[in-house]
Amino acid sequence: MAKKIGVYICSGCGIGHSIDVERLEGVAKAAAPGGPVRRSAAFCLEDARQIQADIEQEGLDGVVIAACSPRVNTDVFGFKGALVERVNLREQVAWSHPPNEDETQALADDYLRMGLVQAQKSSPPTPYTEAHERTVLVVGGGVAGLSAAISAARSDFGVVLVEKGPELGGYAARLHRQFPKRPPYDQLAAVDVAEKIRMVRSLPNVRILTQAQVQEISGEPGRFRVIIQAAGAPVEVQVGAIVLATGWRPAEPHAYAAYGLGRCPNVVTSVDFEEMVAKGRIGRPSDGRPALRVAFLLCDGEGDDAHLPYGGNVSSLVALKQATYVRQQGKDASAYVFYEDMQTPGQSEYFYRRVQADPGIFLSRGQVRGVAEDRDRNVLLDVSETLMGGDIRLVVDVLVLSTGMIPSTVDADGQLGLAYLQGKDVPTTRFGYADSNFICFPYETRRTGIYSAGAVRAAMDLAASVRDGRAAALKAIQSIEKSSAGQAVHPRVGDLSYPNFFMQKCTSCGRCTQECPFGALELDERKHPVLNTNRCRRCGICMGACPVQIISFNDYSVDMLSTMIRAVEIPEGDEEKPRILVLACENDAYPALDMAGINRLRYPSSVRVIPVRCLGSVNSILIADAVSRGFDGVALLGCKPGEDYQCHFIRGSELLETRMGNVRETLGRLALEPERVQVMEVAISESEKIPPMLDEFVRTIKTIGPNPMKGF
Amino acid sequence: MADATLIQPDLEFKTAILGLDAHDLSVCYQCGTCTAVCPQSTADNPFPRKEMVWVQWGLRDRVLGNSSIWLCHQCGICNTYCPRDAKPANVMAALRDYSITHYAVPRFMGQALEQPRYLLLLFAIPAVIFLTILARLGHLTSLPAGRIVFSKLFPVEDIDAVFLTAIGLSLVGAVAGGLRYWRAMRASPPAGASRRDAPASEGASSSGGSPGRHVLSTILDILTHRKFRQCDEAPAGDRDTYKRHVPATHLAVFWGFLGLVVTTTSVGIGLYVFGYPTPWPVWHPVKILGDVSGAAVIGAASIFLWRRIVDGQKAGKSTYSDWLFLVILGATTLTGFLCQGLRLADLPTLAYPTYFVHLLLIFFLLVYIPYSKFAHLVYRTVAMLHAAPSSAALRRADRPLHPPGAM
Repeated sequence: MAKKIGVYICSGCGIGHSIDVERLEGVAKAAAPGGPVRRSAAFCLEDARQIQADIEQEGLDGVVIAACSPRVNTDVFGFKGALVERVNLREQVAWSHPPNEDETQALADDYLRMGLVQAQKSSPPTPYTEAHERTVLVVGGGVAGLSAAISAARSDFGVVLVEKGPELGGYAARLHRQFPKRPPYDQLAAVDVAEKIRMVRSLPNVRILTQAQVQEISGEPGRFRVIIQAAGAPVEVQVGAIVLATGWRPAEPHAYAAYGLGRCPNVVTSVDFEEMVAKGRIGRPSDGRPALRVAFLLCDGEGDDAHLPYGGNVSSLVALKQATYVRQQGKDASAYVFYEDMQTPGQSEYFYRRVQADPGIFLSRGQVRGVAEDRDRNVLLDVSETLMGGDIRLVVDVLVLSTGMIPSTVDADGQLGLAYLQGKDVPTTRFGYADSNFICFPYETRRTGIYSAGAVRAAMDLAASVRDGRAAALKAIQSIEKSSAGQAVHPRVGDLSYPNFFMQKCTSCGRCTQECPFGALELDERKHPVLNTNRCRRCGICMGACPVQIISFNDYSVDMLSTMIRAVEIPEGDEEKPRILVLACENDAYPALDMAGINRLRYPSSVRVIPVRCLGSVNSILIADAVSRGFDGVALLGCKPGEDYQCHFIRGSELLETRMGNVRETLGRLALEPERVQVMEVAISESEKIPPMLDEFVRTIKTIGPNPMKGF
Repeated sequence: MADATLIQPDLEFKTAILGLDAHDLSVCYQCGTCTAVCPQSTADNPFPRKEMVWVQWGLRDRVLGNSSIWLCHQCGICNTYCPRDAKPANVMAALRDYSITHYAVPRFMGQALEQPRYLLLLFAIPAVIFLTILARLGHLTSLPAGRIVFSKLFPVEDIDAVFLTAIGLSLVGAVAGGLRYWRAMRASPPAGASRRDAPASEGASSSGGSPGRHVLSTILDILTHRKFRQCDEAPAGDRDTYKRHVPATHLAVFWGFLGLVVTTTSVGIGLYVFGYPTPWPVWHPVKILGDVSGAAVIGAASIFLWRRIVDGQKAGKSTYSDWLFLVILGATTLTGFLCQGLRLADLPTLAYPTYFVHLLLIFFLLVYIPYSKFAHLVYRTVAMLHAAPSSAALRRADRPLHPPGAM
């Protein structure tokens, strides 16, 4: 708890023209912060030194800077020796509300009071620095795994490389050629996996275990304890982070039954075909005669749902690559490629053009409606939806079906043997990939310290897998470094705080252990939660979950938020001055609010915004607090829940939805209208949505009328 | 499933077309922008994407049995808007070249006009004929004396005998070629059904129906260049196609040529019916018509030549057959004027040899019509006749050129 707090009010950037800064000084002094109250036209310039001087000379343990958004100038306002709280007078007061009006001034006053409470209720956390293991476990010896192992080992981290099979190299070792690697990107390249294997074997700090499988993983980032079954005997190792690179397998043959696989001997998958070419000869499986007419089907049309999610652009490129194999047989060889979408991203475009330039490779959109064979076992393809006019029939020697790349996590059953309360496997995305959100948080699985790379994360080619392995290794290294310093890894990089449990009051309900999106909490024998600090991402979802509010951070707690809510002055008997509490997710909604200010968009001055780490960290008691305090409405601004969530903590928005049930029940008990509390979705890029949304909400609240609890 | 048509991709055909300055075709990814911007393309008969795909797949019979390549007037809009620079207009032009050679009767004549190595031979044929006449009359050693009268060098009867025979033969060739094309179009499935979602069209199904009642409207279309002008009337945007002058310039050369045909016919009638001997005086209305028409042809041909040279590849390809036709047409008209001028200037040593050259050029221009680029006269007319029922149906229904989703 900060005892002696200095208050610094900035009048620059238009703040002084918008509000009465002197009056604000009065508000600060009235709160008796114990330290000086100062004013400057620009605290971000040389006056910042005054703050540091006050900390040292006056012995301040907290400072409240009422100036710009906490999202900017973090370097200027980062002081040694004192906790810093920021009051957002610029973006969320001066820039977004009419100047010199009572309501704008009241907003600034309230924000300053809230900031002071926040400072008073914070204390510096003691970092957890107990885990220092500097070894990376790499599971899977394909290109992604090899690349991760090489990258980590070259960065002077120890590596334990575990491969299920007898040899390293994975699928890459079975390929004939790989996609072009070098400018001008129009020639296939030799597969260089052997070089990677040589490299990994030559590195002294890599321990390779083949015919080995991970049996159990326990612990946390910085100190995982791993038991590996290698050649029948268990091996125990300690590692700091884990790279999951277990690759893919082809889709089940029955997914292609409609295309004749299994029924016609001359219908094969792209994996079979690649192996055939790697062995040296393209022939008809039925009779071994040369296959000069080969059709390729991308299997990416309607009705291909079973494997469609697992193809991506790799299917397109594989078909193009294999078409060039066919043409290498001679001038009279022809390859026909049918697709719904030809995807050749990035430099692959050059390869596509090179394939197009070969007159013996025929490309067309089209959907194969039927596959049959004649007496000679030629494959008869009936294709519709081409641009040639009507359905066409084509006679070929061999039909090659692009196979989906099913990530190994789809059929993994305790692949990593995680000794976690929430289960043995890494949670996966909608299609079974080991990842959290492929756009925002690539490589980060929902288990802190475990990073995915290669085809287990998304369908990808060799070059992408190599990059992936490297990137995941960097993530693993970051995890080790941050964990050993007691800092959060991501997304709250560097956060030293972590949840504390006031265990005497724990009712052993276990909700926190169930709701934690990252499996950070285990249960002890009394069914009390046990925190694995380095697994924790400091989102506060456990704090929002706890029905008896015993979970808090040193600088973020239910008590703090509740006191901030109570610090707001609620005008009574003035219907034109409602008060709306806005709990805004600090990752998306809060920056969007800032952006609204930057764009000088006006939204109602009756809102009081409190940033929260995640909507999932909002304990429903806070909403009850707000309404019983007299707030007329509560808006919860967060990101999109569901399958394509945008939540930084994966389940925050979703959990809030379920908690809203309780909230509505509470409102009912208080005989209040349920419309007073609303959840609103806003993405970081949607600042323009905010004013109409809040205007509408204020209108709704005015229609309902003031909160009858005011003044109680 | 049973209605699927067996296709046999013909690599040779594909390579042949690519070789006719259409190699950019290979980068086409079949998006259909060309068809969307084409002022001539209709929902029933979308082109040139159809042709692009057909050539990519070597579907020779489909390409050759379709009217689209001749319904295209080479405005170049597709070249301008193609996102891949696949030059659809070049492909259409190459297909027309190929098609003329393919339908040529006799076949070797098609080859001869397509390949530069036969050029001398093609000139040698009329040269031998005319030299033989000159030798017979003893004009190889001495030119006719007195006032310059070209019929003294070549008697009218000889000229007419040669030309009527040769043009008669070439007419047989033209009719045979046109008929072959007509039959190929009738044998082909309607083009409109290229996509499931294309609107069912009563128009396309009538392809190959009786052309009789559409002959007049087609002739009117040709005389007025109604279709041709559409190329310029509804541009897809403001990008320069370098071809916007073409409908007007072609109209000039077309009417100029018609004027020259009328002039020649009138002179023939005057000579044989009224015994009015040549040369006619310069003030004679028929002579004036001839001069004006010739000037139109020369002017238009010069504009074509100049633009082809100045615009270069920007306006699409210019192939051997393009240059050959243009140069022969221009040179024929030019030598015609020269003959008249030299005759009036009374310079027999220049006038008679120029007349000889003029005759060679006329022979080349007219007798080789079914095989040179001039064959568009035959094949475009046939194609327009074939397409007339569906385009008439389209007009009747007052449908927009590009219904949504028809691309």
